[in-house]
Amino acid sequence: MSAKKKILYVQTSGVDRPERAYAPFILATTAAMMNIDATIYFLIKGITLVKKGEAEKIKMGSFPSLKDVMNQAIKAGVKLVVCEQSCSLLGIPRGEFVQEANIVGAATLNDLALSADAVLCF
Amino acid sequence: MKPKTDKRVDCLGLYCPEPVFKTRMELDELKAGETLEVLADDPAAEEDIRALVKHLEQELVSVSKEGNTVRILIKKVK
Repeated sequence: MSAKKKILYVQTSGVDRPERAYAPFILATTAAMMNIDATIYFLIKGITLVKKGEAEKIKMGSFPSLKDVMNQAIKAGVKLVVCEQSCSLLGIPRGEFVQEANIVGAATLNDLALSADAVLCF
Repeated sequence: MKPKTDKRVDCLGLYCPEPVFKTRMELDELKAGETLEVLADDPAAEEDIRALVKHLEQELVSVSKEGNTVRILIKKVK
């Protein structure tokens, strides 16, 4: 395995579907542990998960809070990117997101998808 | 004869993805040439750790089972 593999996780589910919120963070963190380059692209309602203060409110079953799982992903080197047009769509200003989430455009999503070895959507 | 191990990581009672995370963290602490013994009872752990070792390009020395417990030996080769 010479070149580092890449997986792109596309998260379209938001705070109203907490049962769909954990998987991309856990999978991406595991990918990072496996020396796989992992990026989560938050799109449409998915961007609400990385709005400041929201992940703290999500906790399901015996799982840690979504914030803990997100912090673990960030620490492992998972990249978080937020769709700019989705911010306009939902009326969330740029400064409202967690510090580690970078705002990017539509061309970036297309490029990330084409350059990844696999794309998973939630 | 039981192979020599330099470090042991106890993942008993831990579920996916924790055994993978713990194993990776412990492997990072090892020097090249050293061996790590992983104990786990999560049914997903064996396949997960095999995949981890493959991607990290380390060496899976052996996998053995006693009841529900799997014992995995990994050699850090680089």
